[in-house]
Amino acid sequence: MRGRGLSARLSAWTAAGLCALASSVAAAPPASKHVQPELVADVESIAAGRPFQAGLRLRMDPEWHTYWKNPGDSGLATRLTWKLPDGFQAGPIEWPYPVVFKQGPVTSYGYEDEVLLPVTITPPATLAAGTSVTLAARADWLECREACLPGRRELSLVLPVRGEAPRASAQAAAFAAARARLPQAGAGWAFEARETPDKVVLVVRPPRGQAAIQKATFFPDRGQLIDHAAAQAWTRAAGATAGYRLEMTPAPNAARPLGALEGVLVTEGSSGATVAVRVQANSTKEKP
Amino acid sequence: MIPVRTLTLAALAATLAVPSSARAAAAVGQPAPEVSLPDTTGATRSLSAYKGKFVVLEWVNFECPFVGKHYGSGHMQKLQKDYTGKGVVWLSVNSSRAGSQGYYASDKVNALIKEKGAAPTAYLLDTAGTAGRAYGARTTPHMFIVDPKGTLIYAGGIDDTPSTDQADIATAKNFVSKALDEALAGKPVSTASSQAYGCSVKY
Repeated sequence: MRGRGLSARLSAWTAAGLCALASSVAAAPPASKHVQPELVADVESIAAGRPFQAGLRLRMDPEWHTYWKNPGDSGLATRLTWKLPDGFQAGPIEWPYPVVFKQGPVTSYGYEDEVLLPVTITPPATLAAGTSVTLAARADWLECREACLPGRRELSLVLPVRGEAPRASAQAAAFAAARARLPQAGAGWAFEARETPDKVVLVVRPPRGQAAIQKATFFPDRGQLIDHAAAQAWTRAAGATAGYRLEMTPAPNAARPLGALEGVLVTEGSSGATVAVRVQANSTKEKP
Repeated sequence: MIPVRTLTLAALAATLAVPSSARAAAAVGQPAPEVSLPDTTGATRSLSAYKGKFVVLEWVNFECPFVGKHYGSGHMQKLQKDYTGKGVVWLSVNSSRAGSQGYYASDKVNALIKEKGAAPTAYLLDTAGTAGRAYGARTTPHMFIVDPKGTLIYAGGIDDTPSTDQADIATAKNFVSKALDEALAGKPVSTASSQAYGCSVKY
């Protein structure tokens, strides 16, 4: 028994060694170990010409995270590559606003615990009821705690086609939660961006009736715009209609002028309630 | 009361000044910060000793999948050989703190360099993160180029395609070889900075 146990252990060890050798020869990326991906939909069935939402749900182990569309100083945005039946169209990922991860001087943007990344899918105008369709997508992501592992998985989702209006699926609540973290189009909000050699100021005028904003964070759509790690100072501007100023630091070595300041402003009121708004503002030089 | 308040404001101002100064990254067009670090033989290598030559600083961590993309494909080694062959000094810098991912003692580093066929002029151990913080190195890889006068002429990513996929190298625009080719030909560097991509430096 003892001998057999040892030899079993040895052969397992040898096999593990051979696998390690094979993987280093093939230079295969290490497989994801800390994220469970799943493709889900907000409907139980679909119908011809009726857009619905599918999404990638990533469940992450404690302390592990994945990334937003601008990962910040490090990391990599999650990607979805769809393989859809003829006539189906997939929109872009609609990104819920991220949280901030800090590791020494390195600041990144992403998600922890669980995230659902919704995508609007539009079926073709004609689709036979009583059949079913398979939506397939390859998901690529980077999962990091301190160290990082690339993840990739081929996923699919089968949905029946019915003649009647689609009913909400059991995942509808998760989609609603994801949508609650999507930036609003910002009707009634006015933004102006001003830059000096060492500052970028976003002037924010909320719509009339908006509750007072206690603090706010700007998440830029791309790198090389603001210094992700630098503090952002939110102040109420003088004068009743002047709004607020969010003072940030330009990214080191960014091309100047910065041009358009695009991203998401996440504001927090005194009750802790957050409102996320889409920002698009052309940057002009601030008069000294 | 007044002196106390003044003191408080001064202290507050000092605190507010910390984030930007702690992040003071090396600026393109300005003198490159000095680097003075031990290599894997224990000898001290200083950037200033290479005045008169172009120097590439490559932040590295062999366990990072982005670094694995560029070494697993042989791409980084080829850049090192091509440009050191043209008189460029190539310094790989590892700012992983002791015990963190990608940190190794010198013997292990030398074995890995041999195994990978890496060909930097030297591999520098920045365990305290001094050089990494002076340059504002955030990722592995994160690339910097210093000209013969000691001026920083490039800071940013190795190329324009953030991924861990080796297949992307063939179609990516490599900013480092472009900048070196231009600078070696006496031309200005057309893309002098870009967004670096990779794993975080393990400070």
